[in-house]
Amino acid sequence: MPNQIEAIDPMVLTLKSHVDGALSGEALFRFDICLSEALANLVLHAETTDKSAPITVKIRHEAESLSTEIFDPKGAVAFDIRDKARALDEIDALAENGRGLGLILECADQVDYGPAPEGNRLKLTFKARG
Amino acid sequence: MIFTDTTDTDILIVRPGVERLTAVNAKAFKDEVITLITEGASQLVIDFKDVSFLDSSGLGALTGLLKKIGHRGDLVVCGLNDDVQQMFKICRMDRVFKSYSDSAAAVQAMNEAS
Repeated sequence: MPNQIEAIDPMVLTLKSHVDGALSGEALFRFDICLSEALANLVLHAETTDKSAPITVKIRHEAESLSTEIFDPKGAVAFDIRDKARALDEIDALAENGRGLGLILECADQVDYGPAPEGNRLKLTFKARG
Repeated sequence: MIFTDTTDTDILIVRPGVERLTAVNAKAFKDEVITLITEGASQLVIDFKDVSFLDSSGLGALTGLLKKIGHRGDLVVCGLNDDVQQMFKICRMDRVFKSYSDSAAAVQAMNEAS
């Protein structure tokens, strides 16, 4: 997707329609939150040398889970949200910012980040929670 | 972007006018409502009946509006669907905002409180 804020919602809705069936109900809701927050974080805050470089998202269907791989745009500085996120309980109730990364950690079943052949990758895994 | 309606007791009902209140439109939403607060609105109901999803930016816009009103008035929400309600709970915003089933219930509660 283009590295533009207007591209986020259409991308998330396209991805949701793609995974509908593999995820449903509350898992699909958590998927929506995580993808919206992760893509917004990249578009708004990734320090990339080339703003025209696209953001690549891949969906991987696995036996009992579904994972998304979000690749940092070319030139972006590595950013591991697991080191930066603040627990939602610790955020001032009236804060206007700072909840996005904590939401990803709270809503995804597994969060991984690190180098991959295509570049640094945020991997979010979702399972249906009974 | 927003749609508004004012009751005969000067309670302003605001509908965001978008299905998803997210990073792409939260600032515009907040700026439009702040203009109304600056012009004198102090009793606000934000009606989410047509909003299916909001993210942390949408929640941030709401807390910004609540701070803008401060002690001069009140801001409540209504019409939250299951997903929006869940988002409020996850972010502990259900402890911050009074929530009502619909705008009529919200207006009634605000009238009774004043």
